[in-house]
Amino acid sequence: MIPQRFRPKNYRQSLTYLVAGILIVAVTLYLALPILALFLRITPDEFFSALHDPEVTSALWLSLLTTVITLIIVIVIGTPFAYFHSRFSYPGKMVVDTLIDLPLVLPPAVAGVALLMLYGRVGLLGRYANMFGISIAFTTLAVIMAQIFVASPFYLRQAKSLFEQLDPAYEQTARTLGASSLRTMAQVTLPMTAGGLVSGAVMTFGRALGEFGATIMFAGNLPGVTQTMPLAVYVGMESDLSIGLTLSILLVIISFAIMIVVRLIQKREAGHA
Amino acid sequence: MKGTLTPSRLALISIVLGLLMIAALFAGCTQSTTTTPAATATPTAAATAVPTPVATTAPAVPTTVATTATPAPTYTPSQSNIVAFTAASLSGASKTIGPSFTAAYPGTTVSFNLDGTQNLKAQVENGAYADVFISASNAYTNTLNSEGYFVPNTVKTLTTNYIIVILPASNPANIQTLADLAKPGIKIAMEAKNVPAGTATLAVLNNLANDTYSQNWMNQTLANVVTYETSEPAVATKVSLGEVDAGFVYQSTATAAPTGTYQSITIPKKDNYLQTYTIGILKESKNQAQAGWFEQYMLSSAGQNILTQYGFTTPK
Repeated sequence: MIPQRFRPKNYRQSLTYLVAGILIVAVTLYLALPILALFLRITPDEFFSALHDPEVTSALWLSLLTTVITLIIVIVIGTPFAYFHSRFSYPGKMVVDTLIDLPLVLPPAVAGVALLMLYGRVGLLGRYANMFGISIAFTTLAVIMAQIFVASPFYLRQAKSLFEQLDPAYEQTARTLGASSLRTMAQVTLPMTAGGLVSGAVMTFGRALGEFGATIMFAGNLPGVTQTMPLAVYVGMESDLSIGLTLSILLVIISFAIMIVVRLIQKREAGHA
Repeated sequence: MKGTLTPSRLALISIVLGLLMIAALFAGCTQSTTTTPAATATPTAAATAVPTPVATTAPAVPTTVATTATPAPTYTPSQSNIVAFTAASLSGASKTIGPSFTAAYPGTTVSFNLDGTQNLKAQVENGAYADVFISASNAYTNTLNSEGYFVPNTVKTLTTNYIIVILPASNPANIQTLADLAKPGIKIAMEAKNVPAGTATLAVLNNLANDTYSQNWMNQTLANVVTYETSEPAVATKVSLGEVDAGFVYQSTATAAPTGTYQSITIPKKDNYLQTYTIGILKESKNQAQAGWFEQYMLSSAGQNILTQYGFTTPK
């Protein structure tokens, strides 16, 4: 074919291009083709008619509601926690550090069992709540608790490392100029870490939205109360393929939107820096 | 320039990549291990198989129950394993069936894929490999049969099961009768409606509402359901943990459990739903002979005794 140009130097470079090309194509197709298959196995008519199905709408609404609440709780409590955790050294800090990472490697079903053993009606703590008539397991609250458990590490780790990397000089300067701690936090620390924090929050949102194992174990599966979109996909896949596919496609669209938001934020961050 | 991506080089790379992809696709298509679904085109189940919620009629499948006492003389020793997709309610029984079958047919082992029948059906329809299919639902069996998955004339009635209400051993909600299930504030666990046990339960509730209790009772009871589990053992687990006050399961679960695990309330036979389990050999099976031995074993008195031991009801 091209024998006269096949000198040793060109041959090595061609090989490199070849290997690179194979790897890129292989990885791209492996990730993209299944997603594509979701869209190709359902007709637009089926998709839009399934969008009206009460199972779909209740799962969508419940998922978005619980995930947003989870996100708010994680940010409101997690940000100050991450700040103090990063700025102070206290006895047991290493243990806490490890615990923050634990839900990342713990199988979600295990997380669900653990939550049930603690907060269930006969659980170690749940039994006391039960005495006051408060039930935790099998409620929407349980969905939120499960989501917080599995998704918070994404935000906490990100916030923690951001605060650790932030040069204390900025805050100290603000303090010497007369700003209170709170004002320093609001007008110096947070704006400087905002981009990274938002990325962490978006990752948390995505993880919470997709949570399945802990939810079905701890919160159960009840349409309108605890049947989030992933649960509805799982249940729907056997009874009605178009519902399962519609929910899957919705989740893909939301995930893509999350990814785009993260990219845009990172671009803006780079622009500022 | 040397080393740049000239058109001819690009063409070479594309050709090689294309060949590699085609090779990979072929490898994926022809590979078939026991657990990975093959990438072959299979008819997708567009129809939703909703089991009819009425008392079971005779299934449109042969219902002969052979009762041979000894293994068939056509058995030849071999090293093989058969994959049995089995309804989850046979989880306990499978622990005994496996070793007993291997003892009767040395060299042949069984792997059980235990899951809700609706999941197993979806897996088979999407290309999963199995030799034998044990279904807890006539409707799902009929659907698979009409889609052509079974070897003709191998679908037989295996066993039957009634529905029962189980309560945690401590009976925290003090439920004494079926009427108590409608009491406000109690928590009930049930199977999802596409799980065979779930359809059976709904049928039972309908029958009870029409015969003895009222439609209001049924509505209240359903309002007390806090979770629709995706398999029958999952309901039993929630009850045994004490996290719910009552659950609808198969009688076999209550019978086979160690004494003191549950309390139970039986449902009158006339209102109950007799779930019929079927066993069949799948066309895709590469071990048809061994699958046949397993089916024969399950239908023989040896297999039937194990099932009775675990609380299943021998079919009449």
